[in-house]
Amino acid sequence: METSELLQLAIAGLKNGSIYALLALGFTIVYAATNVINFAQGEFYMLGGMFAVYAFTQFELPLLVSVPLAVLAVAGIGMLFETLAIRPRKDAEPMALIIITVGGSLVFASLARHAFGSDALPLPEFTAGPSFLFAGAAIERQTVWIWGIVLVTVAGLTFLYSKTRLGRAMRACMQNREAARLMGIDTARVVMISFGLAAALGALAGVAVTPLTSTRFDIGAGIAVKGFAAAILGGLGSPLAAVAGGLLLGLVEQAVIPFSSALKDVVALGVLLAVLFLRPQGLFRRARREKM
Amino acid sequence: MRYSIRAAVILALTFGVAITPFVMTDRYILRILTFVGINLIMVAGLSLLFGYAGQISLGQAAFYGLGAYTSGYLAKAGVPWLLALVGGVAVAAIGGLLIALPSLRLKGHYLAMATLGFGEIMLFFFTETESVTGGSNGLRGIPAASIGPLEFATPVAKYFLVWSVVGIVLVLAANIVRRRPGRALRAIHGSETGAQACGIDTVKVKIQVFVLSAGLGGLAGVLYAHYVGFVSPSTFTLHYSLILVTMVALGGMGSLGGAVAGTVLLTLLPYVDAIIPGLPRSTVELIQDWTNDIYGMVLILVMLFMPRGLAGWATSLVARFGGRDRAGGSVHQGGGA
Repeated sequence: METSELLQLAIAGLKNGSIYALLALGFTIVYAATNVINFAQGEFYMLGGMFAVYAFTQFELPLLVSVPLAVLAVAGIGMLFETLAIRPRKDAEPMALIIITVGGSLVFASLARHAFGSDALPLPEFTAGPSFLFAGAAIERQTVWIWGIVLVTVAGLTFLYSKTRLGRAMRACMQNREAARLMGIDTARVVMISFGLAAALGALAGVAVTPLTSTRFDIGAGIAVKGFAAAILGGLGSPLAAVAGGLLLGLVEQAVIPFSSALKDVVALGVLLAVLFLRPQGLFRRARREKM
Repeated sequence: MRYSIRAAVILALTFGVAITPFVMTDRYILRILTFVGINLIMVAGLSLLFGYAGQISLGQAAFYGLGAYTSGYLAKAGVPWLLALVGGVAVAAIGGLLIALPSLRLKGHYLAMATLGFGEIMLFFFTETESVTGGSNGLRGIPAASIGPLEFATPVAKYFLVWSVVGIVLVLAANIVRRRPGRALRAIHGSETGAQACGIDTVKVKIQVFVLSAGLGGLAGVLYAHYVGFVSPSTFTLHYSLILVTMVALGGMGSLGGAVAGTVLLTLLPYVDAIIPGLPRSTVELIQDWTNDIYGMVLILVMLFMPRGLAGWATSLVARFGGRDRAGGSVHQGGGA
């Protein structure tokens, strides 16, 4: 295979991987605050794209207004979901919360079908124009947007965690929620904001990718599995590990394409099972004694 | 007195199931009721695994598919139905064993994701291994079930075949949950360490219940394949696995009777028109259009407001009204109706 073809695969891998990274960050943030895996995370991705398409086509808002509006709206839905469906279950029994988020994923997908129909909906690229050429490989403008969004997100999260009061509260909850509450941190608020933040990141990924793939009411579950595979690869701990997990998964997926393009879709599932069965603490962490 | 109520309900239900084909001759209704039976076998397995032992599975559809494809493939190759059935159940059970062994140290959402991933991988293989499964076109022309000269070709015969198996499976499951193995499952649900301290070999019990529930899934798949005569990947989706979980959750964790009630209610939901004949067309279409929303809302609302499901609700109802009634006669009538 020629170098330019390899480079093209690597670019596609880093593009998809960036999307998985944003989803993995969503899983990681919610898990840190609540010890819950949010099975509805993929629906936030779907809703992000849907809302942006809706604002752009129905209200005829400019794209660069539609996109942030969609992300904010989904963040609101994430917080509302936490308030109405997660928080009332006071004992926070993990199995019950899993089932609640599974139910949420069914409801979100189904409501989206009622609201937006069952067709695939397209969105134009954020900035129109020809692809960039780099050493014989083409980079779509939207791909550059996706990379930019991931970079800004990582920088923003780093700032949030290290420099702000809220970020410190979130890190305290991550270490020990009960102790954080005793120190006077409003843990209920931290949990709600974590859900909102995770929903916003999911929506951001969905909006960013819709110009390339279009969106449909039923794409949430499939992408959630990939995002979770990336999150578990990173070990569900630090945000940077989640991003690394996402990029790695994207690259591995592209690496199998020269052998069999049909296999690409099953790579994430294989990675997911392999990591869960062999190294449930993720690639970058030492094993803990307790059972997962 | 609780036992006499239960006996009366079971007798009445058995009688109802037995006479239905003679009272309702409508093929459509028989077909729906046969699907209720097939779902009951699936849910009996999931109830033992998830409802009793607390081991969540979001991949039951995979075992359903393994049973259906194996048996359909064998029967098309000329293997007698009973042997094809054994093959289907065995392959599904082996699938259960393969997922059980590495899952032993996983809990909660890790187990949920692992079983979900397994289900999706199996769906991928059902779609991609075209030479065996027919790919997305599916496997056509699967012969009806037959034992020697006895062929289950008519809708009524198929109905009785499926419901006979349902009866056997439910009796078996009820025996498991009432006796020592059932107590072991509940102990694992409560606390694995505690169960071990009581002398329960938790590893062995967890593998057994995984394999049993997978085998029951395979059995349901076999019956499905020879009932419909056609299997395609679109039947064995994550969506189906989630509906099965909804049935168990609605019925109540740790209650076989509840799981049965949940299965009957949720299976019939999209077919309300067949059950309540006078319903306006628009209402039926509305319910069908919102079926998935209802399933999802049921999951959320049950977990929030009715964590013990229909079974918990029925228990408190019996406790309230049954306790006051000395003779218990009116309760019998209420329970049997």
